[in-house]
Amino acid sequence: MVDLRNRSNLKERKPAGDFSSRRRFVLVFMMSCMIILVARAVDLQVISKKYLKDQGDMRHVDEVSVSAYRGMITDRTGAPLAISSPVQTVSVSPKQLNAIDKNQLKALEKKLRKSQQGHALTGVQKAEVLAVYEKDKVLKVKQMLKILGLPASEANKLLNKTSKFAYLAQRINPIIADQVKALELPGVNVEQGFKRFYPTGEVSGHLIGFTDVNDVGQEGLERSYENFLKGLSGSKRVIRDGQRQVIADIENIKEPVAGKTLELSIDQRIQYLAYRELQTAVETHKAKSGSIVVLDAKSGEVLAAANQPSFNPNTKTNLKENLYRNRAITNIFEPGSTVKPFVVAAAMDGGYIRPNELFETHGIFPIGTHMVRDVHNYGTLDATGVLKKSSNVGVAKMALKMPPEYFWDTYHKLGFGVSPGSGFPSEASGSLLDHRRWRDFDRATMSFGYGLSVSALQLARSYTALADDGILHSISLLKRDEDIDSKRVFTAKTAKKVRAMLETVISKDGTAYEARVDGYRVAGKTGTVKKAGSGGYSEKTYFAVFAGMAPASHPRLIIVVMIDEPSAGDYYGGLVSAPVFSKVMAGALRIMEVAPDEEHTMPILLTKKGVIRPHAAE
Amino acid sequence: MKTPHKSQFHFDTTLVLICLALLTIGYIMVVSSSLHLGLEMSGSVFSYPLKQLAHICIGVCVGAWLATIPMHKWETAGPWLFIAGLFLLVIVLIPGLGVKVNGSVRWLSLGGLRIQVSEIVKIFAVVYIAGYVTRHQESVRVSAYGIVKPLALFALACVLLLLEPDFGSSVVIIVIAMGVMFLGGARLSQFVILLSFLATLAALLVYFAPYRMQRITSFRDPWADPLNSGFQLVQALISFGRGEWLGVGLGNGIQKLFYLPEAHTDFLFSVIAEELGLLGVVVVIGLFAMLVWRIFKIAEAAEKAGQVFSALMAYGLGIWFGFQAFVNMGVNMGILPTKGLTLPFMSYGGGSMISMCCAIALLFRIYSEVYEISANTPKERSRWVNA
Repeated sequence: MVDLRNRSNLKERKPAGDFSSRRRFVLVFMMSCMIILVARAVDLQVISKKYLKDQGDMRHVDEVSVSAYRGMITDRTGAPLAISSPVQTVSVSPKQLNAIDKNQLKALEKKLRKSQQGHALTGVQKAEVLAVYEKDKVLKVKQMLKILGLPASEANKLLNKTSKFAYLAQRINPIIADQVKALELPGVNVEQGFKRFYPTGEVSGHLIGFTDVNDVGQEGLERSYENFLKGLSGSKRVIRDGQRQVIADIENIKEPVAGKTLELSIDQRIQYLAYRELQTAVETHKAKSGSIVVLDAKSGEVLAAANQPSFNPNTKTNLKENLYRNRAITNIFEPGSTVKPFVVAAAMDGGYIRPNELFETHGIFPIGTHMVRDVHNYGTLDATGVLKKSSNVGVAKMALKMPPEYFWDTYHKLGFGVSPGSGFPSEASGSLLDHRRWRDFDRATMSFGYGLSVSALQLARSYTALADDGILHSISLLKRDEDIDSKRVFTAKTAKKVRAMLETVISKDGTAYEARVDGYRVAGKTGTVKKAGSGGYSEKTYFAVFAGMAPASHPRLIIVVMIDEPSAGDYYGGLVSAPVFSKVMAGALRIMEVAPDEEHTMPILLTKKGVIRPHAAE
Repeated sequence: MKTPHKSQFHFDTTLVLICLALLTIGYIMVVSSSLHLGLEMSGSVFSYPLKQLAHICIGVCVGAWLATIPMHKWETAGPWLFIAGLFLLVIVLIPGLGVKVNGSVRWLSLGGLRIQVSEIVKIFAVVYIAGYVTRHQESVRVSAYGIVKPLALFALACVLLLLEPDFGSSVVIIVIAMGVMFLGGARLSQFVILLSFLATLAALLVYFAPYRMQRITSFRDPWADPLNSGFQLVQALISFGRGEWLGVGLGNGIQKLFYLPEAHTDFLFSVIAEELGLLGVVVVIGLFAMLVWRIFKIAEAAEKAGQVFSALMAYGLGIWFGFQAFVNMGVNMGILPTKGLTLPFMSYGGGSMISMCCAIALLFRIYSEVYEISANTPKERSRWVNA
């Protein structure tokens, strides 16, 4: 400044009462203060900056997780049973929505000004423009509600709110969200996410289960294989403002790793067929519930497992435990007569009965104070006859010939009372009383399937021992090439013999003629089980069960059908469950392209050239 | 600008440039630190910038009008103005008239414009004390009574200010009064006694109002309680650290985004520190130093020209600007306890901006009058004004 140069001149002229030294003191003092400020600024912005910046980062920088794509669940052919697809969530800030967007308003005013050759707008015109703007907004809000399928009455509520956040629609189709976006309403935001879709809906709902809003498996295989499916969520570093809103991404710390695809042993075509036939049967017979399990007899893979009643995992409305329980795996019942073939096989294998030994049944057989009864008096029967007629007395007599330990051991080996190891959540193990506590009558009732309990899956599994020439297979819900955990329970010879006996069950005078499949030999056993209630066994309520396999010459498939309390008249396993078996088996064999082994019952196809038999070349 | 009886108004170009620089930097920073807040509070980013622009315009207009009033009129009006100031301080305390913000009743609402009464009182205080010392030069220089008499009136104003409560402004007017009396020639021994008396008084005030104590302890170690009493200061210090040498860039600051409270008003300096860095901070401190320096030069010239009242007015205003700016920046950097004082010419706020413009207008007037006198005495002219 210029003044500084003249300072010496000023000093010369010192009037009385001059306090220029005081002035200089004050000025120097104030300048010193300013220098202190600069020093402090250097201290903060240069010397302590590291500490202060770290303190700042502690407050601003945050890690947020980036959700990983959940793995797909497919059937054995690769058809999707559960897929995560991108969805969007629409939220709104009513406060922002209701604030007037001045830019938009100005644009409208400008447009009007142009239309009247640039003349300034009058107050009335401005008010009109504002009214048009407001009206347009209300219209757009109503349009948005319509797109989202919300009631139009919401519009007034929304337009009068001052809150800062509300969800309008969660996890919706991106196409719908894009339509909302196109309206360009202020304060309306669209966010990306994933939603689980189940293309087969209720058909495989019980097996697949479902996830919750956070995409965590809650039921079924979604729950069992949670860790396999969920993948690894990634994370990124972001900056948040004082209201904890993310204002910028800094870097990716970890890329999300997508979950793996889970390939099930299920064949969706068979699953669908099984579901449909079971549903029809449960409806026709006015039953309480029903289950069906289809197994690959050679590998132990579950090809289908369906239940009634069912639920749709996509909507999950009115979801009760009763609906989403996978009864085929988690519910147990007394297997009744379906276990009789095992008693015959065990007795033959252990040499407790001779090949052609005859049993006098008389329809009634006293053991101690108890009575074993047959439905009719079948007279004298051989082993085949016992199975064909399903004689309780016959198997009871065989059972009593075997030592309890040996008998128990066979059942135990067949997997009764043991977890089937499917990996399904809350899978049932059933129950099998220890043989040391068996009395004679217990041994007898065990032989015709009372006093022990199994799940449909366990029963189907035990039948692999008959189907695969004495070898019991382990169960798998996942696709696999071979069963590495199989074990022999019966000799091949015995298994084949019992299978031949079981073929007679499907004959015209057997108990399950309805189970026959044209073109194939079928072996199976019915079970009509009295339900146990609080006051003992009921005479009115039954489980109608059928377990069987085909083709009987070289069984490829095992099907167990269990229908709980058919109440429309018929209740015999041979009448209620066997037809379901027949239809599903026929379809499944065709799907699996299994060659027929009984050509004389094959349906005849008519062609132009005349009558030919299909598969004649095979 | 023409005045009725003077042919020309002489502008002090240096002062104009300093003020323009402060106003411009301040306005840009207010815009930068209030955009998000405007959106939050009223749904428009322009809400605060437009209001602040209005404050500046009103300030310039009122200032232009004040600059036409000759200094001798101010001298005679001094006591009345001070009484008017006291009156305003009483009015603001009447329930229903004063506007309460953050627990303090400091504002009067005038047609949508909110005026902080203490800002007006500060100007009136300068006018009054300058006039008093001019009129009672002898008694101020020799008797204790000469000092105590005006201070009693100031004490009254202080009590009213403390009732709002506005501790910062009461400190400012006491400092102005003391400074003007010191430069007006009051005896040093009396000053020592007076200062110790004031120190005791200040200690008592702090003792009886715990929130002041809290403010004082929090400024000494804000990191001890960074979530409550130390919150604001911690956020301010972080702003400085983040700024480093050249800052994070205009508009790129994070601290202003709902971390640092009062970022656009009392803590604007922290936003400058974060966005413009040490460079910006030093420039602003330098501008305030130049402002004080220039005002003291004007005062000195007035003194040489025999304009005692004008000189004391200039001293008073210089001390005000310097002290308030120093305290505000010191608070921002954690070397002084939080006072609630704005940064002159920069912080957002109607009352502050308008009263600062008025004060600067008075300084322009003083310069113009002194220039006129110097011009009429040819020998003097080259001595102090070359521009």
